[in-house]
Amino acid sequence: MSALDPEVANQLAEDLPPDVFRTIISTFEQDLTRLAQDLARAAQAGDQDGYERAAHSLAGAAAAVGAVGLEREARIAMDHRQPESAATVLPRLLTEAKAALQALRALTY
Amino acid sequence: MLTPARVLLVEDTPTQAEIAKAMLRDFGHEIRHAENGTDGLALALEWQPDAILVDLLLPDFSGIELMRRLKAARVNAACIVLTAHGSVNIAVEAMREGATDFLLKPYAAARLRVTLDNALEKRALRQALDTARTALGRESFGGFIGASPAMQAVYRTLESVAGSKATVFITGESGTGKEVAAETLHQASPRRGRPFIVLNCAAIPRDLLESEIFGHVKGAFTGATENRPGAARAADGGTLFLDEIGEMPLEMQAKLLRFVQSGTVTPVGGTRAEAVDLRLVCATNRDILAEVQAGRFREDLYYRLYVVPVVLPPLRARGEDVLLIARHLLQHFARDEGKRFKQFDAAAEAAIRAHPWPGNVRQLQNVLRNAVVLHEGEVITRAMLPDLLLQGAPVMPGPPPPAPAQAASATAAIEPLAISEKRLILAALEHTGQDVPRAAALLDVNPSTIYRKLTTWKKEA
Repeated sequence: MSALDPEVANQLAEDLPPDVFRTIISTFEQDLTRLAQDLARAAQAGDQDGYERAAHSLAGAAAAVGAVGLEREARIAMDHRQPESAATVLPRLLTEAKAALQALRALTY
Repeated sequence: MLTPARVLLVEDTPTQAEIAKAMLRDFGHEIRHAENGTDGLALALEWQPDAILVDLLLPDFSGIELMRRLKAARVNAACIVLTAHGSVNIAVEAMREGATDFLLKPYAAARLRVTLDNALEKRALRQALDTARTALGRESFGGFIGASPAMQAVYRTLESVAGSKATVFITGESGTGKEVAAETLHQASPRRGRPFIVLNCAAIPRDLLESEIFGHVKGAFTGATENRPGAARAADGGTLFLDEIGEMPLEMQAKLLRFVQSGTVTPVGGTRAEAVDLRLVCATNRDILAEVQAGRFREDLYYRLYVVPVVLPPLRARGEDVLLIARHLLQHFARDEGKRFKQFDAAAEAAIRAHPWPGNVRQLQNVLRNAVVLHEGEVITRAMLPDLLLQGAPVMPGPPPPAPAQAASATAAIEPLAISEKRLILAALEHTGQDVPRAAALLDVNPSTIYRKLTTWKKEA
């Protein structure tokens, strides 16, 4: 399954000049790094609110660039009713994040 | 796209913010960005954006709460809510709070453009409608009272030229409010905090007019015991209103022309010209173009001064305004004179409406002041109004009357002071067409003095 929703990601690549699109990918990468750290820290501290807030922001950032796989995992993380623990969700989320970044970079070539 | 707008983006996720900013920049808009509701509100108040894009979930408080606070702070911007699929219901709630539209994330540039353009257009239409409603429905403006179409046109002109430095030339019959127009213009202009200087060209002896406008230096002429700045320098930064400019002697017109052309004043007896920054407003009740044609007013000065003409309509052309003004004046005079009058009866209103008011608002003021001073009660009846109104006889303004002093001197004789006083007051009233304030001005007394005397004489009779 593709890491990106081609409709959203391609539209974005079309809408924005290449250098701006590259800046967006760079911002997205910074968001991922920061929010993944926030998630891990909140999970370790048992801070449910912080965990859900970081997951929400991650879902928003992922949705903006069409990273559907990452958005799905982030939405699982932000839903406190779901049974999966952070230890299960986080590795999957990081895998999706890497895949999304790779796919987005491919659009700039 | 519509004209470039100020767009405030309130979005906490950097990726989303960067995408929105890149799109908005591409549309040609000016953009500011806040990462939370508190900063967004502060920026909206300070910057007054045309549109605000609001993320629903912000770190400090919700987008809905931000909308409520914007509404409470009377921020007049088109708000567009940015929302994810799962929060459409909340977006609908935001619409109830005043949002113009909502945008589902992620959105393409074309969708953002259409949504934003529509919101801006809707806002512009609403503003145009509000302006039109205001312009059509104003019952007062500055010092004026009146809702007639003729006055709405005056208000619009005054409002549109208030921000400029252009010279305004006010014409209108006596008593139509030329000085009120000049002061309203000054108060509506950026110069409102600076001086508003009035100079009546007809009231100043011709020999003194130059000194009154441009000032003089000590020793310039007999009696010039000290330096005097003059009206032009006193009005520096503000507005100089030259009333009855049609009465200005020709030699003085040449000096005024030089001042208008150079923007500098040289006091009488002085050698150094000083720059002044003022807005010039002139007025006359004469047909100024006829004065030019008759050679009594310089043509070159006319073209310098007649930049923005404002024609004040006579009261008889203002429809129901006469009653609006009469009711306002009644309240004012009753308060001023400590009387209980609150309203007119139907017959009095009909008489006021039917009268042609050749002396315009000033005449209306005199009649009503007279009625308030001479009578008691809560209602002004038709019988309390002067005979002039009851007969409905129009008295059109004639040529300026001779000075009452001349009339008095013709009948001067040694007699009791009270009789001389009564004779002089009645002569002044006769010569001014029963215009109490003008008669009072000629006699150099307060109008209330004349009203008091009239009351006393009526009781004595």
